[in-house]
Amino acid sequence: MDGVSENKMVPSDFSTGPMEKAAKPLPFKDPNFVHSGHGGAVAGKKNRTWKNLKQILAAERALPWQLNDPNYFSIDAPPSFKPAKKYSDVSGLLANYTDPQSKLRFSTIEEFSYIRRLPSDVVTGYLALRKATSIVP
Amino acid sequence: MAAATTAGLATNVFPFRDARAAPDPVLEAGPVAHGSLPVPLVLDNGSFQARAGWACPGPDPGPEPRLQFRAVCARGRGGARGGAGPQVGNALGSLEPLRWMLRSPFDRNVPVNLELQELLLDYSFQHLGVSSQGCVDHPIVLTEAVCTPLYSRQMMSELLFECYGIPKVAYGIDSLFSFYHNNPKNMISSGLIISSGYQCTHILPILEGRLDARNCKRINLGGSQAAGYLQRLLQLKYPGHLAAITLSRMEEILHEHSYIAEDYVEELQKWRCPDYYEDNVHKMQLPFSSKLLGSTLTSEEKQERRQQQLRRLQELNARRREEKLQLDQERLDRLLYVQELLEDGQMDQFHKALIELNMDSPEELQSYIQKLSAAVEQAKQKILQAEVSLEVDVVDSKPETPDLEQLEPSLEDVENINDFEPLFSEETPEVEKPVATVQPVFNLAAYHQLFVGTERIRAPEIIFQPSLIGEEQAGIAETLQYILDRYPKDVQELLVQNVFLTGGNMMYPGMKVRIEKELLEMRPFRSSFQVQLASNPVLDAWYGARDWALDHLDNEDVWITRKDYEEKGGGYLREHCASNVYVPIRLPKQASRSAEAQASGKGSGASGGGASEQA
Repeated sequence: MDGVSENKMVPSDFSTGPMEKAAKPLPFKDPNFVHSGHGGAVAGKKNRTWKNLKQILAAERALPWQLNDPNYFSIDAPPSFKPAKKYSDVSGLLANYTDPQSKLRFSTIEEFSYIRRLPSDVVTGYLALRKATSIVP
Repeated sequence: MAAATTAGLATNVFPFRDARAAPDPVLEAGPVAHGSLPVPLVLDNGSFQARAGWACPGPDPGPEPRLQFRAVCARGRGGARGGAGPQVGNALGSLEPLRWMLRSPFDRNVPVNLELQELLLDYSFQHLGVSSQGCVDHPIVLTEAVCTPLYSRQMMSELLFECYGIPKVAYGIDSLFSFYHNNPKNMISSGLIISSGYQCTHILPILEGRLDARNCKRINLGGSQAAGYLQRLLQLKYPGHLAAITLSRMEEILHEHSYIAEDYVEELQKWRCPDYYEDNVHKMQLPFSSKLLGSTLTSEEKQERRQQQLRRLQELNARRREEKLQLDQERLDRLLYVQELLEDGQMDQFHKALIELNMDSPEELQSYIQKLSAAVEQAKQKILQAEVSLEVDVVDSKPETPDLEQLEPSLEDVENINDFEPLFSEETPEVEKPVATVQPVFNLAAYHQLFVGTERIRAPEIIFQPSLIGEEQAGIAETLQYILDRYPKDVQELLVQNVFLTGGNMMYPGMKVRIEKELLEMRPFRSSFQVQLASNPVLDAWYGARDWALDHLDNEDVWITRKDYEEKGGGYLREHCASNVYVPIRLPKQASRSAEAQASGKGSGASGGGASEQA
């Protein structure tokens, strides 16, 4: 019943809606359809954009789930228990050493001299790749 | 490429294909679509690619899905041109020029932007030759994410039922359809599916033909994260080729030149050895770019330009100083005149002038005059100095490398003069270093090559070790162990006998061997396990969905009809062997439009009237 009423509620003022932009309206569509998730001109200032996944999940959390129900966020894999191995930022080999100045990891002497000659944006790039940049300067 | 001086250079050099997608033709539905019963449309809605086709009954199972296109759209170049509208998928041709304008309906693996989804569906229906008027008159089989949010399913159902008017829809999980296709007996047996796609990797235990959704786990890493990682690695290694290292080329490297190491640490040890490196490095040849070349060979021109800039700056500063000097001089004159007023004894005028100047006493006036005259003197000195050094510059400059030494003293002067341009003086010493050490002759081809060595194994490794990319989640092996530990021992045995790998991100060479090794490490001594890779990990989901549709055409229990949608709401799902688990939570119907209309009253007169009628 709700679906039928939605169709009726959208009268011909939407014939100028999304189909204007296409070259010709596609025959198999209902030209008067408007998504309820996206307000467009009708809903006014609110609801103009689509919710992104984070917002959808936040709303989903508020629903009355039981403890064992499977839902999108309960399926997330748990964090790892094993300590992460350290690999060199430059070459990917196992890194035994860390440069105290730039916090990059390296495994050989040549890599060390390479790291010391890097410009600062490349250094921050490598750290950001590992999500090891510190937010507080 | 073969014209190399040393033999080693010619091996392992690969060009980029940089393939462009050909636009899809608008296909005629043909006799297959017009049977007695409406033929189901099968749509594998993936975040990487959407695959659509007909599920034709009959002896011949049929070829590949008729449409396979990237699930992206972009507006025509040059802003929104009227009439052209947004282009979808293969009509875009090459994706790279439009990279920043590409929009996808997906956020991770869930469709959130239903408008773009509508565009993709329009494209699919149009190109498959759907010809029914006013509605799409075919049942649809659509894939959705594992445990997709109810809101997203509601939006999707609304789109399908209300915009396209389809009679019935069935939602399923792509990896389960793939499982079904590879062994129809699977649907009554148990197994463990490891499905790795573009955005995430799922581990799904199947018990007695039905998904055990409570124990599924999802790792939020897939092909797109691997491509992004590879891109940043290469961009940091070759900062000069930033623009040429595009995501499409990264995907090419991943598809054709990467592999999964059976034992990651051991493989890295092998790569340490220079001979192994030489034999196995893949040198990706970038197309020749004269722009890059120009920036290094014409270093003399760069020096010339720098000198010109210096001179211009000096002139600018001199002019500014002169103007300031003039202003100061005028002000000084005015103040001196006021002081003279005092000396002449014209107290009233003097006081009036003081107030105008915003000063309180003659002493203040005096000190101000002194300061100003000192400043004027200094400015005059500096101007003289600048003129002298400018002359020195012009006389001594020569356009060859010895100019570097000459540049030094003028730089110091510039630093004195330029108190506004610290950036410029900082820049020049850095630029001098490469200029001084540039070799006039070098191998042009080698300059344009990207050496992909350990990156071949590093990029795909992120699903096994998410810490490589900074993710805190556990990798596939640890998650597998975590899931298995949630079951009693006999069920564990049952599950590992049928481990099934599917999904595009599973197609690396060496993936099956690696999973077998991981299982060997975690299973008890001398227990057995079986790992099977899907026959076509990319397309099997579509084939499975088609087989499922053909097998279940008559079964009314598995299709969600329009009546179900209207009675039970958009989040409703009918379970079947390849579907999610339905949790009967009723979502509040999106009443935003009707509520707004009623609240505002005017402006949306007709719809407001309509709403009040219905209510």
